[in-house]
Amino acid sequence: MSDIKLVDVTKQYEGQPQPAVDAVSLDIAAGELVVFVGPSGCGKTTTMKMINRLIEPTSGQILLGGADVMSIEPNELRRHIGYVIQQIGLFPHMTISENIQLVPGLLGWNRDRSRRRADELLDLVGLDPAAYRDRYPRQLSGGQQQRVGVARALAADPPVMLMDEPFGATDPITRERLQKEFLRLQAELRKTIVFVTHDFDEAVKLGDRIAVLKERSRVAQYDTPARILAAPADDYVASFAGSATAIKRLALIPAVRLPGEPLDERDGLPVLERGGSARDALDLMVRRGTSRVAVGDRTVDFAMICALLEDEHGR
Amino acid sequence: MDFSRYLERRWDDLLEQAVQHAAVVALSVLLATAIGVLVGVLTWRSARASGAAISVSAALLTIPSLALLALLIPLLGLGWAPTVVALVVYSLLPIIRNTVAGLRGVDPAILESARGMGLTGRQTMWRIQLPLAWPIILTGVRVSTQMLFAIATIAAYVAGPGLGNEILSGLAGLGSANALNKAVAGTAGVVLLALAFDLAFVGLRRVTTPRGLRV
Amino acid sequence: MAVETLGGAFGAATRKGRGHSFATPAVLAATLVLLYLWVSTRQLDSMEARVLSAAFIRDAALTHLTVTAVSASLVVVIAIPLGVLLTRPFARRLAPWVMAAANAGQAAPALGVLVLLSILFGIGTRIAVVTLVLHATLPVLRNTIAGIQQVDTALLEAGRGMGMSRGQILRRLELPLAVPVVMAGLRTTIVICVGIATVATFINAGGLGDIIVAGIKLQRTSILVTGGVLTAVIALALDWLAGLAEKYVRPHGI
Repeated sequence: MSDIKLVDVTKQYEGQPQPAVDAVSLDIAAGELVVFVGPSGCGKTTTMKMINRLIEPTSGQILLGGADVMSIEPNELRRHIGYVIQQIGLFPHMTISENIQLVPGLLGWNRDRSRRRADELLDLVGLDPAAYRDRYPRQLSGGQQQRVGVARALAADPPVMLMDEPFGATDPITRERLQKEFLRLQAELRKTIVFVTHDFDEAVKLGDRIAVLKERSRVAQYDTPARILAAPADDYVASFAGSATAIKRLALIPAVRLPGEPLDERDGLPVLERGGSARDALDLMVRRGTSRVAVGDRTVDFAMICALLEDEHGR
Repeated sequence: MDFSRYLERRWDDLLEQAVQHAAVVALSVLLATAIGVLVGVLTWRSARASGAAISVSAALLTIPSLALLALLIPLLGLGWAPTVVALVVYSLLPIIRNTVAGLRGVDPAILESARGMGLTGRQTMWRIQLPLAWPIILTGVRVSTQMLFAIATIAAYVAGPGLGNEILSGLAGLGSANALNKAVAGTAGVVLLALAFDLAFVGLRRVTTPRGLRV
Repeated sequence: MAVETLGGAFGAATRKGRGHSFATPAVLAATLVLLYLWVSTRQLDSMEARVLSAAFIRDAALTHLTVTAVSASLVVVIAIPLGVLLTRPFARRLAPWVMAAANAGQAAPALGVLVLLSILFGIGTRIAVVTLVLHATLPVLRNTIAGIQQVDTALLEAGRGMGMSRGQILRRLELPLAVPVVMAGLRTTIVICVGIATVATFINAGGLGDIIVAGIKLQRTSILVTGGVLTAVIALALDWLAGLAEKYVRPHGI
């Protein structure tokens, strides 16, 4: 497990009046998924790319599991950090399996082991190895390609992954599915992940923590999604979080965690699907015109949800 | 003597000239490919450097072949040497230009992910860029080859090898019975050779293009 | 097919803007001065003196330029109208066939065609011009067709929508917009003409090839170098001029 520590990291491009990234400090705990969210051009991608030294910081320090990244040979460093970009960048002349085996090969794994690893990863991202390993990237849909992109980044089992708007170019339905699968994957793997996006809702959905960045990548707020929604640090964060933040917060709360009363079957209440959130419960009430719904063996009512929003400050 | 009887009688000589013609073109194209790809690999990143390489090779291609051969004689004498050098010089432009275009054409996202995965510059060049640029480079080589078959005929005037000798001996014997036969045999021979090589390139392209680029 | 190459090859050089700078003529002029200085320091024997006399060189250069100019003009007169014709609706289906035939003809080495024609029809400048025209027509023909075909069909539709006749569309839209592509072809044609005109010496058509051939026969380095350098300089200078013309006849806004 590796934590990431950014200490006063600055990137100053020559001939620019102001630094692109200005003295950013952040602690990212091992096994957490941290989302950098901010408008385009705010320096979030630059900040992320300094972690694997695709961009070299001008000053400041980046520590990876306690080691200064500047003390590690860049290619060696990158082979141990998974990297996923929006354009995916699969190598079109290599099969899916060869794409995944590339980094293990560079690290000197033998062919058998890398081949088994590739199959294992295809399985993990939900692509049948027998059907997909020998195909070429062009024979896959965009969503499938992005899954291979994630599998390829995971190939050498890196403790850290950097993801630059990985789902940004897919259609809404595919994106939603990829996000769900990705969350399931992360629940299993617990990698330390830096995830860059400009989509606040995606940040809320995926992040353990969110770093809301403003210009020059300065941190406006760094907290859990729930707390950012409940108590935005300033107007900038509030405007970025957008409207209906109460509803967005409800989406983060599983309905089974709501306080409730024992269910009486004879009431004939509408039943919430398993795994639904407090927001889904509210949605069901509005649709059915009731103020109570059944969640599992209990009932949840409208007043409870409102009360929850009053005192819920974080998960 | 009619053409078929001429062919029959001179078949061995013609075949030898054709083989030499093909050999000098093939040798020159191989050398030019090595040089041109190297120049392209070294210059593609810089618009100025690759522009200069392309301009210089374009200027060289503008020089009439007889003039270039004339200028090479004081340095290299007659025969194969000036022929090969001139042919190499003429084939550089398409190869350099296509190498640069091919390397530049590789999707930046692919380069970024190669870098992000920790491939060194050399690994990226060998394992990613050159394989992806190869079909375009090969097209340049093919274009050069076709051009050289025609130019190589002129080299016969400086004692170069190949079917140009047949054509020139037809000219020397102007008015003799076999002049026309010789000119036709030489000219048609060059056309057929060029055609055969062009077909070979179609096959070569199929065999050497990475499968992932064909699907 | 050799020429197809040249077309592509010079096309790229053209877009790179070669010919815009005055470095090329400066280098060429300096080369000529150096050549002059080098030759004038040498003791020339009688044969060298005859070939390297001002009169001999001037005649050779003039013949070379004349043959090139006449051939290139004939190419323009033949290829551009033919290209336009082949893009008209009634002839459009013919275009691929004509191009295939032209390509095939081009595959024949110029030297072979030159010798064949002179054996069949006699030697001399006229046959040389015929060979040049046969060989140099393709780039202009192909680029005329390509230049007209690449004009955005939305523009043509706009023209029709504005009530322009077919002739007006051709003259005011298609041709002006095709000019850059046609000029690129013409530049290639000129370079090919200079090259083949050198070989025309083999059939007694004169030109700078005379000097080169004399150098080879007499085994005199001074003559070889003079002939080679002069020919190369003329080829590069004409290419530069053509590049300049290419730049200036281009319609404003393209």
